[in-house]
Amino acid sequence: MKISLSWLREHLRTDQSAAEIARILTDAGLEVGTIESVGVAIPKVVAAQILESVQHPNADRLSVCKVDDGSGSPRQIVCGAKNYKVGDKVPLAQPGAVMPGDFKIKVGKLRGVESEGMMCSSKELGLGEGEDGLLILPQETVTGTPLSELFPAEEVFEIEITPNRPDWLGHRGVACEAAAFGAGELIEQSIPLPVPKLDPSVARISAPEAASFYSIRKITGVKVGPSPEWLRKRLESVGLRSINNVVDVTNFVMFETAQPLHAFDAAKITGNLAVEFAAEGEEFTALDGTTHTLSTHDAVISDARGVQALAGIMGGMTSGVSETTTTVLIESAVFDPSAIRRSSRAHGISSDSSYRFERGTDAETAILASTRAASLIVEVAGGEAESEQVVAGVVPTPVIIPLRGERVRSLLGIDLDDGTIAMLLAKLGLKKQEAGFEIPGFRAADLRREVDLIEEVARLHGIGNIVSRLTCIPSHSSDADRAFDFARGLRRRLSGMGFHEARNGTLTSNRDQDIYSMGGVAVINPMGEEHSTLRGSLIPGLLDSCSRNLRLGAETVSLFEIGDVYQLEQPEEQTRLGLILTGYAAPESWKNGERRTLDLFDLKGMISRLGTCTDKIEFRTTAHAHLVLYLDILIGGETSGILGVLSPAAAREITIGGHQGQILVAEIAISSLQKISGGGFSKHPKILGELPKFPAVRRDLALLLDEVTPYSAVEAAALATNEELLTGITPFDIFSDPSGIKIPLGKKSLAIALTFQHNDRTLTTEEVNLALGRIMTQLREKAGAEIRS
Amino acid sequence: MESRITELKEEAISAIEVASAVSTPKAAQEALKETRIRFLGKTGSISLLSEGMRSLTKEERPRIGQLLNELRNIVTAALDEKEAALTALADAAAFASIDTSLPGTASLSGSLHPLTLLVDRAVQIFRRLGFAIADGPDIETEWHCFDALNTPADHPARNEQDTFYLPDGRLLRTHTSSIQIRTMVANPPPIRIIAPGAAYRRDEVDATHLAQFTQMEGLTVAPGVNLGDLKGTIEFFFHELFGPGTEIRFRPHFFPFTEPSYEIDIRTESLGGKWMELAGCGMVDPAVFAEVNKARGDDAYDPERISGFAFGFGLDRLAMNLTGISDIRMLTENDLRFLSRFPA
Repeated sequence: MKISLSWLREHLRTDQSAAEIARILTDAGLEVGTIESVGVAIPKVVAAQILESVQHPNADRLSVCKVDDGSGSPRQIVCGAKNYKVGDKVPLAQPGAVMPGDFKIKVGKLRGVESEGMMCSSKELGLGEGEDGLLILPQETVTGTPLSELFPAEEVFEIEITPNRPDWLGHRGVACEAAAFGAGELIEQSIPLPVPKLDPSVARISAPEAASFYSIRKITGVKVGPSPEWLRKRLESVGLRSINNVVDVTNFVMFETAQPLHAFDAAKITGNLAVEFAAEGEEFTALDGTTHTLSTHDAVISDARGVQALAGIMGGMTSGVSETTTTVLIESAVFDPSAIRRSSRAHGISSDSSYRFERGTDAETAILASTRAASLIVEVAGGEAESEQVVAGVVPTPVIIPLRGERVRSLLGIDLDDGTIAMLLAKLGLKKQEAGFEIPGFRAADLRREVDLIEEVARLHGIGNIVSRLTCIPSHSSDADRAFDFARGLRRRLSGMGFHEARNGTLTSNRDQDIYSMGGVAVINPMGEEHSTLRGSLIPGLLDSCSRNLRLGAETVSLFEIGDVYQLEQPEEQTRLGLILTGYAAPESWKNGERRTLDLFDLKGMISRLGTCTDKIEFRTTAHAHLVLYLDILIGGETSGILGVLSPAAAREITIGGHQGQILVAEIAISSLQKISGGGFSKHPKILGELPKFPAVRRDLALLLDEVTPYSAVEAAALATNEELLTGITPFDIFSDPSGIKIPLGKKSLAIALTFQHNDRTLTTEEVNLALGRIMTQLREKAGAEIRS
Repeated sequence: MESRITELKEEAISAIEVASAVSTPKAAQEALKETRIRFLGKTGSISLLSEGMRSLTKEERPRIGQLLNELRNIVTAALDEKEAALTALADAAAFASIDTSLPGTASLSGSLHPLTLLVDRAVQIFRRLGFAIADGPDIETEWHCFDALNTPADHPARNEQDTFYLPDGRLLRTHTSSIQIRTMVANPPPIRIIAPGAAYRRDEVDATHLAQFTQMEGLTVAPGVNLGDLKGTIEFFFHELFGPGTEIRFRPHFFPFTEPSYEIDIRTESLGGKWMELAGCGMVDPAVFAEVNKARGDDAYDPERISGFAFGFGLDRLAMNLTGISDIRMLTENDLRFLSRFPA
């Protein structure tokens, strides 16, 4: 919302600067974003008349003019513009003028001809784009008049108006607030009100849901034409275009009072005007030429022939004021905000009028605005206003809201007495009555409860006068605290393992969602397919991030994300950890020769580390369409995630040529990890027990196995006898020979280290040998192993 | 015997000299080892000579014994000295060829997302003041997101232009304020919570807007809570976050769910020295308590007995400023060159 400072000064007697008024308004809740200066504030730019223009002797595109700038002696000016004729009046920047962009005007020669200044375009003066060429001033302009008088510099505030304060959508309302907050003194207006008259043959409300008040004021004998200078300038200063004197007055009054008005040409209205709902499918052509098909939800103003206006939003093409209009009907009404909002949205029309009606208007202001408009139309367009105003609906009686001083004091933490509170509220026009405060009509929508008045006291007293207080109320950790802390620790562990934390948007393409999950949750009104679905898995987003980084030249990508995923069944939202890993196991350095690429076992090992001594993470091999090596991740015996290698086909889609190594992905439910976590401590300290005091014995075995025998079968066989002394099995070498020379084809060699230990004594060779013997038997029988050593 | 001792001494010293002068330090060490065995070993010359003690008279034994001891000590000392010198030489040689100007090598190291760092900081500050964390779902009912927060059915935000909806009429929460409602419905006062989380608005994504953004919500409800508590808490937080010199400005504003309401602007050198709108806050509107009571079926949140304040702020723009980026999309693109700037 643009507020012109000079317009504001018509309502506010103040000697404060623009910056100071802006500060006061901001403190009151009218946030002044920018203070813009319009107009010309450059000295030594005057209106000048072109007396003569001849071709420049040395340049085809230039001419040499003689101009009269009122100084008594004509000046010679070299000019490149073509849009003038001799006798025109134009702005002339005299030597010494400093133009926008710090461009100084001097006497100088242009192609050998002296030029004593510069004739200006509107752009050169900072008056906007305008037309090409010189700014041609009206013929009646007095030669020598400074441009700063013709285009007075004017400051305009851009203010953000909160939706609860429709009264601030006009200069008068802003002036009232500024005065209440000490920016000056409100200039009282006295507007003699017309006599209200009920006359359903002129105006009536047939749809009380759509309007609570409706009024028509007739003005006869008007002469529609251009607006006077002052009116045009006022409208231009707030960004409006001048149309004609009558329409300009309705707009001017709207920007003054915040009450939208509409002017009908009485000659085009047949019978009475009525507020009603449109018939289904009724056609309406708005004054901007667009045609709309209406529904029974649209409030309209109709006459005997049909819809003449979409109520509160836009007038109709046929009944608007034109050059030929002589009798005008000024409509001023209170339309229902919801009804206006509904229609405005349904037809995609937002106007200055609908914007204000959506936020709320009141009957008192509607009457005032209509009266003000009538007198201004008579002033600028002639004619005569009828002494009566035809009204329909009601003007509500003022509301009285009770206010307890004690409540004000306790909620705001202040100690103002009741008298001071009443004095503060009086600044806003709230009158103290027996039962409370009487609310003026223009504030009735916003001030309905005691707390609404307390807010006003807080604003007027000022937040600067509120004494800050710090009280600490302890609270127990919540489940959310525990989840937050667990995730926080997990993030730090993962970054310590070399992962970078990623954050992807939860709204994503529905493409690929079903590959790694049951599919996400679609929204009905997405901003494009790419953001149409709440993700069902973190993996597609991480693959995108991986792909982007590879394209940017990364050779190793290691990312993790902790975020929510969504699915149609319960739990609808779940927090997961996603991991992606590809590239080299170590950064390139002068030290390592051949660099190893990361593979499934790197990621498997990292995930294993997220387990604890007593709750190990287990894996179960299974099959998956898009992952060539695929494992279920089991935590506490429950399937809690997946780990796999992207199929070569899927990997090719996201990598660029030359990328080394597999693309590994995993996804794990955070809650499962949190369940086994003891916050760094073991959840089962008893099981862990004391540290062993006696040395361990290691025995290595080299086994010859069928190539297809999995390691898990070997481990299971070794554990089959539940050897009490066996505390660990570690595979440390695996080997097969495609030539069949060192070991037979179809076989592989596996070396394992077995660790034996007892908590209370040193082991004897004999008991270790006995245990080893039993294990070897199992390995032979259960895993088909041939023991090589 | 005596002359043999003198002879052996000369022999040993010269043998040690010869051994220690062998071409390479390693070979010299080997040669010295052999020399030691040759003279001091079980069958070495000095040991064999000592055997001859037996044939000596009782009178001779102490003197000769002493001479033998001296011999042994001299030879041992000479060997030790040469060996120590060689070891020192070898030690020095072992490091001499290393070019310490080569760059260090390190294992891959990771990083934390700047939004995570910011959320962590904020949470730690509020925990100092006794706040607990609360959470709630991103997929929310209209009641939790709007109705309970005193936002009428025809409010401008409640439409498909601005808010993402699901087929069943639920929506993606437009602010984390819905968590206030969930917390109060589930727990009686006193309440003192913060809630970091995602919120969604149907904005076209560009350099300064994301359709999904990160917010931090706060709520305190207890008997006697007043506007001064709100002001003190907000000031404490921003002074902790940006330093005690941070300027904080409260501008009266309007939110349906608080009254009075304020927007909070911050000015501090670390955010470029310009006023920056960062947060909204206010005293909880009694209409919100009324809705909560209705849902609870009691009057635990009777506005005559309790009061509260709430605040909320966006973290994305703050993260942009703290990380020095001008395009907010950097926060979701996961460019490793950017992420690597925030080692954990």
